[in-house]
Amino acid sequence: MSAYVTLTINGAKVKAPEGRSVLDVALDYGICIPHLCHVRGLTPIGACRLCIVEVVKNGKSKVTTSCTLEVEEGMVILAHTEKILKARKNIAEMLVAEAPNSRAIQDVALRCGVKEVRYPFRNKDCVLCGRCVRACSEIWQSKSLGFVGRGKERHVALPFDKRPEFCKRCNACIDLCPMTITPCPGPMKKGEEYLCGLCESQLSMAEEIPDSCIDCRLGEGFSCIRKKP
Amino acid sequence: MAATDLKKVNRILENREGTSGELIEALQDVQESYNYLPEEVLRTVSERLEVPLIEVFRVANFYKSFTLKPRGKHLLTICMGTACHVRGAPKLADEVLGQLGVKPGETTEDGQFTVETVNCLGACALGPVVVLDKEYYDHMTPGKLRAIVQKVRKKSREKVKV
Ligand code: SF4
Ligand code: FES
Ligand code: FES
Repeated sequence: MSAYVTLTINGAKVKAPEGRSVLDVALDYGICIPHLCHVRGLTPIGACRLCIVEVVKNGKSKVTTSCTLEVEEGMVILAHTEKILKARKNIAEMLVAEAPNSRAIQDVALRCGVKEVRYPFRNKDCVLCGRCVRACSEIWQSKSLGFVGRGKERHVALPFDKRPEFCKRCNACIDLCPMTITPCPGPMKKGEEYLCGLCESQLSMAEEIPDSCIDCRLGEGFSCIRKKP
Repeated sequence: MAATDLKKVNRILENREGTSGELIEALQDVQESYNYLPEEVLRTVSERLEVPLIEVFRVANFYKSFTLKPRGKHLLTICMGTACHVRGAPKLADEVLGQLGVKPGETTEDGQFTVETVNCLGACALGPVVVLDKEYYDHMTPGKLRAIVQKVRKKSREKVKV
């Protein structure tokens, strides 16, 4: 039996097993904190910064990523303050500008209330979330792919850009990659990127009840815990 | 060089079996004796040091002192650090790259020169600094550099003739 701690998230008192991340606990209790790089069971790396929350301690608050934050007794978490919503929206806006060609990313942007994109679209095919890399090395102990290069040259690669013979072709990398969910109207061409507003009806919900799940494709396709029966 | 000679790497890896902590040292030795990091050799390094191949590949890509492509006979390193930059390193680089007909990181067709740029060699007071075959040249000007490159080129041509 593991020990439990009590904390509050957005004012709700919740009990959680020691060692669990704030993000996982929030999701368990039906509080959606938008996230992208986090996959339950894989080491959190805090790459996407979407899951930021405020942690209040001694009357002071600190912003940090909830996927890398372990629960503690008496912890006070505010996941949807004005400050957080604003910062998260900006992060989502940059993310969708960087890689608009994914329904999952479009959904995250929608979830975070992005209505216009002020940054130039880049149409990248990878957002460096590291889901694939961690799945490969942690679930399968295969280490067939990894991050190579540094700074803006950092990218996911196979050794010598060839599929190694020990890769089991499990396809976990592809299943977990947010970039493999194409936007509903089909892939966007370079120079013709846009912010997809097709699911805008979900937006009102995202704005009025920031805790709620909006059935984003990332959660659906990638079993965000909310969608598990 | 069709099949890579693995004898040298076997010597390098002697007494290093399973010592993943010595990856960088091993790669340095490989770079030193092969003048680059051949794929076959890196595969051997990965197996013998017990470091995942992707890790070896990542480290080989990370450091500027490692190259995955064969380097030319002469390595010319131009410092593009702040101090050298303001003292005219870009002009220097432009000139010599034009003279040799390559881009930074490339090797001339005759396999003589590889030109690389780095960001500070730690000798800022002597800038602009250029290193040719481990020798430092200070206060470089495009003219001086051109002459040095010509001299080295002539010398190695003569050697070929003999
Ligand atoms: S390839 Fe996909 S899963 Fe891997 S880091 Fe890039 S976006 Fe993430
Ligand atoms: S989910 Fe926490 S930083 Fe990406
Ligand atoms: S900037 Fe060139 S040596 Fe420091």
